[in-house]
Amino acid sequence: MKRSYSLILFFLSLIWFLGIFIEWFIKIDEHFVFALPYLQKTYSLVCHQEKNKLLLFGEIETLTCARCTGIYLGLLLPSLLVLLKLPKGKLHINILLVAAAPMIADVLLTSLNIYAYSKLIAFLTGFLLGSFGFFYLYAGLNSLILELKR
Amino acid sequence: MKKYLAAIICGFGAGVLQIVPFVKNFSCCMILPLAAFFSLLLDQRATRNFEKIPMKKALLFGLFTGLFAASFGSVLEILITFITKHNDVIASFTDLQRIVQNLPLSEDIKKEVLNIFQSVREDILKNGFSILYTFSVIVNNFIVNSIFGSVGGLIGARIINSKLHHQSNGQ
Repeated sequence: MKRSYSLILFFLSLIWFLGIFIEWFIKIDEHFVFALPYLQKTYSLVCHQEKNKLLLFGEIETLTCARCTGIYLGLLLPSLLVLLKLPKGKLHINILLVAAAPMIADVLLTSLNIYAYSKLIAFLTGFLLGSFGFFYLYAGLNSLILELKR
Repeated sequence: MKKYLAAIICGFGAGVLQIVPFVKNFSCCMILPLAAFFSLLLDQRATRNFEKIPMKKALLFGLFTGLFAASFGSVLEILITFITKHNDVIASFTDLQRIVQNLPLSEDIKKEVLNIFQSVREDILKNGFSILYTFSVIVNNFIVNSIFGSVGGLIGARIINSKLHHQSNGQ
Protein backbone atom coordinates (compact mmCIF):
# COMPACT_ATOMS: atom_id res chain seq x y z
CA MET A 1 0.00 0.00 0.00
CA LYS A 2 1.23 3.48 -0.84
CA ARG A 3 2.43 5.54 2.09
CA SER A 4 -0.19 8.19 1.30
CA TYR A 5 -2.98 5.65 1.88
CA SER A 6 -1.31 4.57 5.13
CA LEU A 7 -1.15 8.22 6.15
CA ILE A 8 -4.89 8.64 5.52
CA LEU A 9 -5.57 5.50 7.52
CA PHE A 10 -3.42 6.81 10.37
CA PHE A 11 -5.16 10.19 10.45
CA LEU A 12 -8.62 8.62 10.37
CA SER A 13 -7.67 6.33 13.27
CA LEU A 14 -6.15 9.29 15.12
CA ILE A 15 -9.24 11.49 14.71
CA TRP A 16 -11.49 8.65 15.87
CA PHE A 17 -9.25 7.94 18.85
CA LEU A 18 -8.94 11.61 19.86
CA GLY A 19 -12.73 11.97 19.76
CA ILE A 20 -12.91 9.64 22.77
CA PHE A 21 -11.01 12.28 24.79
CA ILE A 22 -13.18 15.26 23.80
CA GLU A 23 -13.44 16.39 27.43
CA TRP A 24 -9.69 17.11 27.41
CA PHE A 25 -10.06 19.27 24.32
CA ILE A 26 -12.80 21.29 25.97
CA LYS A 27 -10.16 22.40 28.47
CA ILE A 28 -8.04 23.65 25.56
CA ASP A 29 -10.85 25.36 23.70
CA GLU A 30 -14.27 25.65 25.30
CA HIS A 31 -16.04 25.64 21.93
CA PHE A 32 -15.40 21.89 21.71
CA VAL A 33 -18.21 21.56 24.27
CA PHE A 34 -20.72 21.95 21.42
CA ALA A 35 -19.40 18.70 19.95
CA LEU A 36 -19.75 16.80 23.23
CA PRO A 37 -23.45 15.74 23.00
CA TYR A 38 -23.00 14.83 19.34
CA LEU A 39 -19.88 12.74 20.00
CA GLN A 40 -21.53 11.04 22.97
CA LYS A 41 -24.24 9.92 20.57
CA THR A 42 -21.67 8.89 17.94
CA TYR A 43 -19.69 6.67 20.30
CA SER A 44 -22.88 5.26 21.84
CA LEU A 45 -23.40 3.45 18.54
CA VAL A 46 -20.23 1.47 19.03
CA CYS A 47 -19.96 1.24 22.82
CA HIS A 48 -22.40 0.62 25.68
CA GLN A 49 -20.74 3.53 27.59
CA GLU A 50 -21.52 2.01 30.98
CA LYS A 51 -20.46 4.56 33.58
CA ASN A 52 -18.42 2.14 35.71
CA LYS A 53 -16.48 0.88 32.69
CA LEU A 54 -15.35 4.25 31.30
CA LEU A 55 -11.76 5.34 31.86
CA LEU A 56 -11.54 8.10 34.44
CA PHE A 57 -8.77 10.65 34.71
CA GLY A 58 -9.63 12.87 37.65
CA GLU A 59 -13.07 14.28 36.85
CA ILE A 60 -12.74 13.66 33.14
CA GLU A 61 -13.91 10.46 31.51
CA THR A 62 -13.57 8.87 28.10
CA LEU A 63 -16.56 8.49 25.78
CA THR A 64 -15.97 4.75 25.33
CA CYS A 65 -15.37 1.93 27.80
CA ALA A 66 -11.89 0.66 28.70
CA ARG A 67 -12.13 -2.27 26.27
CA CYS A 68 -13.21 -0.16 23.28
CA THR A 69 -10.56 2.48 24.11
CA GLY A 70 -8.02 -0.36 24.10
CA ILE A 71 -9.26 -1.61 20.73
CA TYR A 72 -9.01 1.86 19.17
CA LEU A 73 -5.55 2.49 20.60
CA GLY A 74 -4.64 -0.95 19.29
CA LEU A 75 -5.75 0.17 15.82
CA LEU A 76 -3.98 3.51 16.07
CA LEU A 77 -0.48 2.41 17.09
CA PRO A 78 0.10 -0.13 14.29
CA SER A 79 -1.27 2.43 11.80
CA LEU A 80 1.65 4.63 12.91
CA LEU A 81 4.08 1.71 12.69
CA VAL A 82 3.12 0.89 9.08
CA LEU A 83 4.03 4.46 8.16
CA LEU A 84 7.59 3.69 9.22
CA LYS A 85 7.84 0.15 7.91
CA LEU A 86 5.45 -1.60 5.56
CA PRO A 87 4.50 -5.08 6.78
CA LYS A 88 5.28 -8.09 4.62
CA GLY A 89 4.22 -11.71 4.84
CA LYS A 90 0.84 -13.42 5.05
CA LEU A 91 -1.40 -13.44 8.08
CA HIS A 92 -2.62 -16.74 9.41
CA ILE A 93 -6.19 -16.75 10.71
CA ASN A 94 -5.03 -18.40 13.95
CA ILE A 95 -3.10 -15.25 14.89
CA LEU A 96 -6.33 -13.25 15.01
CA LEU A 97 -8.09 -16.01 16.94
CA VAL A 98 -5.26 -16.10 19.50
CA ALA A 99 -5.39 -12.30 19.79
CA ALA A 100 -9.17 -12.38 20.27
CA ALA A 101 -9.15 -15.24 22.78
CA PRO A 102 -8.14 -13.21 25.88
CA MET A 103 -10.86 -10.63 25.19
CA ILE A 104 -13.53 -13.25 24.60
CA ALA A 105 -12.42 -15.10 27.74
CA ASP A 106 -12.46 -11.86 29.77
CA VAL A 107 -15.96 -10.94 28.54
CA LEU A 108 -17.27 -14.43 29.34
CA LEU A 109 -15.58 -14.75 32.72
CA THR A 110 -16.65 -11.29 33.96
CA SER A 111 -20.19 -11.83 32.64
CA LEU A 112 -20.38 -15.13 34.54
CA ASN A 113 -19.02 -13.34 37.64
CA ILE A 114 -16.05 -15.70 37.83
CA TYR A 115 -13.92 -12.65 38.52
CA ALA A 116 -14.63 -8.93 38.83
CA TYR A 117 -14.45 -6.63 35.84
CA SER A 118 -11.09 -4.89 35.62
CA LYS A 119 -10.60 -1.84 33.43
CA LEU A 120 -6.92 -2.67 32.99
CA ILE A 121 -7.60 -6.24 31.79
CA ALA A 122 -10.42 -4.99 29.55
CA PHE A 123 -8.13 -2.32 28.10
CA LEU A 124 -5.22 -4.69 27.51
CA THR A 125 -7.31 -7.48 25.96
CA GLY A 126 -9.00 -4.90 23.72
CA PHE A 127 -5.63 -3.46 22.77
CA LEU A 128 -4.34 -6.91 21.82
CA LEU A 129 -7.28 -7.59 19.51
CA GLY A 130 -7.19 -4.09 18.03
CA SER A 131 -3.50 -4.20 17.21
CA PHE A 132 -3.66 -7.59 15.47
CA GLY A 133 -7.01 -6.77 13.87
CA PHE A 134 -5.40 -3.72 12.28
CA PHE A 135 -3.08 -5.89 10.18
CA TYR A 136 -6.07 -7.80 8.79
CA LEU A 137 -7.72 -4.50 7.91
CA TYR A 138 -4.48 -3.28 6.37
CA ALA A 139 -4.10 -6.47 4.33
CA GLY A 140 -7.76 -6.21 3.25
CA LEU A 141 -7.31 -2.61 2.10
CA ASN A 142 -4.12 -3.58 0.32
CA SER A 143 -5.88 -6.35 -1.61
CA LEU A 144 -8.77 -3.98 -2.40
CA ILE A 145 -6.40 -1.37 -3.86
CA LEU A 146 -4.62 -4.04 -5.93
CA GLU A 147 -8.00 -5.34 -7.17
CA LEU A 148 -9.17 -1.86 -8.14
CA LYS A 149 -5.94 -1.20 -10.02
CA ARG A 150 -6.36 -4.31 -12.18
CA MET B 1 -31.75 -6.17 -4.00
CA LYS B 2 -31.84 -9.97 -3.71
CA LYS B 3 -28.09 -9.96 -4.21
CA TYR B 4 -27.70 -8.12 -0.90
CA LEU B 5 -30.30 -10.10 1.07
CA ALA B 6 -27.62 -11.33 3.49
CA ALA B 7 -26.54 -7.72 4.09
CA ILE B 8 -30.17 -6.70 4.71
CA ILE B 9 -30.69 -9.50 7.26
CA CYS B 10 -27.44 -8.86 9.13
CA GLY B 11 -27.90 -5.09 8.86
CA PHE B 12 -31.34 -5.40 10.42
CA GLY B 13 -29.91 -7.49 13.26
CA ALA B 14 -27.13 -4.98 13.92
CA GLY B 15 -29.55 -2.03 13.70
CA VAL B 16 -31.83 -3.63 16.29
CA LEU B 17 -28.94 -4.47 18.63
CA GLN B 18 -27.76 -0.87 18.48
CA ILE B 19 -31.10 0.76 19.17
CA VAL B 20 -33.59 -1.30 21.14
CA PRO B 21 -33.53 -0.34 24.85
CA PHE B 22 -31.94 -2.92 27.16
CA VAL B 23 -30.51 -4.93 24.23
CA LYS B 24 -28.59 -1.74 23.45
CA ASN B 25 -26.68 -2.14 26.75
CA PHE B 26 -24.83 -5.04 25.17
CA SER B 27 -23.80 -2.99 22.17
CA CYS B 28 -20.16 -2.89 21.42
CA CYS B 29 -17.82 -1.88 18.63
CA MET B 30 -17.73 -5.47 17.37
CA ILE B 31 -21.45 -5.63 16.41
CA LEU B 32 -21.18 -4.05 12.98
CA PRO B 33 -17.93 -5.69 11.89
CA LEU B 34 -19.38 -9.03 13.00
CA ALA B 35 -22.64 -8.33 11.14
CA ALA B 36 -20.64 -7.63 7.96
CA PHE B 37 -18.63 -10.81 8.48
CA PHE B 38 -21.82 -12.87 8.96
CA SER B 39 -23.39 -11.30 5.89
CA LEU B 40 -20.44 -12.59 3.83
CA LEU B 41 -20.79 -16.06 5.37
CA LEU B 42 -24.56 -16.04 4.84
CA ASP B 43 -24.13 -15.00 1.23
CA GLN B 44 -21.64 -17.83 0.69
CA ARG B 45 -24.16 -20.33 2.05
CA ALA B 46 -27.08 -18.88 0.10
CA THR B 47 -25.26 -18.80 -3.24
CA ARG B 48 -23.27 -22.00 -2.53
CA ASN B 49 -20.24 -20.17 -3.80
CA PHE B 50 -17.31 -21.04 -1.54
CA GLU B 51 -14.62 -19.48 -3.70
CA LYS B 52 -12.28 -16.72 -2.57
CA ILE B 53 -14.23 -13.51 -1.88
CA PRO B 54 -13.08 -10.52 -3.96
CA MET B 55 -12.30 -7.51 -1.76
CA LYS B 56 -14.57 -5.29 -3.85
CA LYS B 57 -17.49 -7.57 -3.00
CA ALA B 58 -16.43 -7.67 0.65
CA LEU B 59 -16.33 -3.88 0.80
CA LEU B 60 -19.76 -3.58 -0.82
CA PHE B 61 -21.28 -6.18 1.48
CA GLY B 62 -19.80 -4.46 4.52
CA LEU B 63 -20.94 -1.06 3.30
CA PHE B 64 -24.48 -2.28 2.59
CA THR B 65 -24.66 -4.07 5.95
CA GLY B 66 -23.72 -0.76 7.58
CA LEU B 67 -26.18 1.23 5.47
CA PHE B 68 -29.04 -1.18 6.17
CA ALA B 69 -28.17 -1.17 9.88
CA ALA B 70 -28.20 2.64 9.77
CA SER B 71 -31.58 2.74 7.97
CA PHE B 72 -33.26 0.23 10.28
CA GLY B 73 -31.56 1.73 13.33
CA SER B 74 -32.57 5.30 12.48
CA VAL B 75 -36.19 4.38 11.73
CA LEU B 76 -36.46 2.31 14.91
CA GLU B 77 -34.85 4.97 17.07
CA ILE B 78 -37.03 7.77 15.70
CA LEU B 79 -40.13 5.58 16.04
CA ILE B 80 -39.34 4.47 19.60
CA THR B 81 -38.65 8.10 20.57
CA PHE B 82 -41.92 9.19 18.98
CA ILE B 83 -43.96 6.52 20.77
CA THR B 84 -42.31 6.60 24.18
CA LYS B 85 -41.36 10.32 24.18
CA HIS B 86 -38.20 9.19 25.91
CA ASN B 87 -34.68 8.39 24.74
CA ASP B 88 -31.04 8.58 25.73
CA VAL B 89 -30.97 12.38 25.36
CA ILE B 90 -33.54 12.65 28.14
CA ALA B 91 -31.92 9.91 30.17
CA SER B 92 -28.47 11.51 29.97
CA PHE B 93 -29.58 15.11 30.46
CA THR B 94 -28.65 15.30 34.14
CA ASP B 95 -25.30 13.69 33.32
CA LEU B 96 -24.59 16.23 30.61
CA GLN B 97 -25.60 19.05 32.95
CA ARG B 98 -23.14 17.73 35.54
CA ILE B 99 -20.33 17.36 32.97
CA VAL B 100 -20.89 20.86 31.57
CA GLN B 101 -21.10 22.41 35.05
CA ASN B 102 -17.82 20.72 36.06
CA LEU B 103 -15.94 21.90 33.00
CA PRO B 104 -13.94 25.12 33.15
CA LEU B 105 -16.21 27.01 30.75
CA SER B 106 -17.47 30.56 30.63
CA GLU B 107 -21.03 31.01 31.88
CA ASP B 108 -22.21 32.08 28.41
CA ILE B 109 -20.99 28.88 26.77
CA LYS B 110 -22.45 26.71 29.53
CA LYS B 111 -25.79 28.45 29.16
CA GLU B 112 -25.76 28.17 25.37
CA VAL B 113 -24.96 24.43 25.36
CA LEU B 114 -27.53 23.61 27.99
CA ASN B 115 -30.15 25.72 26.18
CA ILE B 116 -29.63 23.75 22.95
CA PHE B 117 -29.85 20.48 24.82
CA GLN B 118 -32.85 21.67 26.84
CA SER B 119 -34.76 22.64 23.68
CA VAL B 120 -34.11 19.18 22.17
CA ARG B 121 -35.24 17.58 25.44
CA GLU B 122 -38.42 19.67 25.59
CA ASP B 123 -39.30 18.89 21.96
CA ILE B 124 -38.94 15.17 22.64
CA LEU B 125 -40.92 15.26 25.89
CA LYS B 126 -43.68 17.29 24.25
CA ASN B 127 -43.90 15.90 20.71
CA GLY B 128 -41.67 12.82 20.71
CA PHE B 129 -39.73 14.45 17.90
CA SER B 130 -36.89 16.92 17.51
CA ILE B 131 -35.42 17.98 14.17
CA LEU B 132 -31.92 18.41 15.62
CA TYR B 133 -32.03 15.02 17.30
CA THR B 134 -33.40 13.28 14.20
CA PHE B 135 -30.76 14.90 12.02
CA SER B 136 -27.95 13.85 14.38
CA VAL B 137 -29.30 10.29 14.60
CA ILE B 138 -29.45 9.92 10.82
CA VAL B 139 -26.05 11.50 10.13
CA ASN B 140 -24.37 9.57 12.96
CA ASN B 141 -25.88 6.23 12.02
CA PHE B 142 -25.05 6.49 8.34
CA ILE B 143 -21.46 7.65 8.79
CA VAL B 144 -20.43 5.39 11.68
CA ASN B 145 -22.26 2.27 10.53
CA SER B 146 -21.03 2.45 6.95
CA ILE B 147 -17.41 2.82 8.13
CA PHE B 148 -17.61 0.02 10.68
CA GLY B 149 -19.50 -2.18 8.21
CA SER B 150 -16.87 -1.66 5.51
CA VAL B 151 -14.06 -2.41 7.97
CA GLY B 152 -15.90 -5.59 9.03
CA GLY B 153 -16.39 -6.61 5.40
CA LEU B 154 -12.68 -6.25 4.59
CA ILE B 155 -11.45 -8.02 7.73
CA GLY B 156 -14.16 -10.67 7.37
CA ALA B 157 -13.18 -11.44 3.79
CA ARG B 158 -9.51 -11.73 4.82
CA ILE B 159 -10.50 -14.24 7.51
CA ILE B 160 -12.74 -16.28 5.17
CA ASN B 161 -10.16 -16.23 2.36
CA SER B 162 -7.34 -17.14 4.71
CA LYS B 163 -9.41 -20.10 5.97
CA LEU B 164 -10.07 -21.22 2.37
CA HIS B 165 -6.39 -20.83 1.52
CA HIS B 166 -5.34 -23.05 4.43
CA GLN B 167 -8.05 -25.62 3.68
CA SER B 168 -6.92 -25.90 0.05
CA ASN B 169 -3.28 -26.17 1.17
CA GLY B 170 -4.19 -28.93 3.61
CA GLN B 171 -5.90 -31.04 0.95
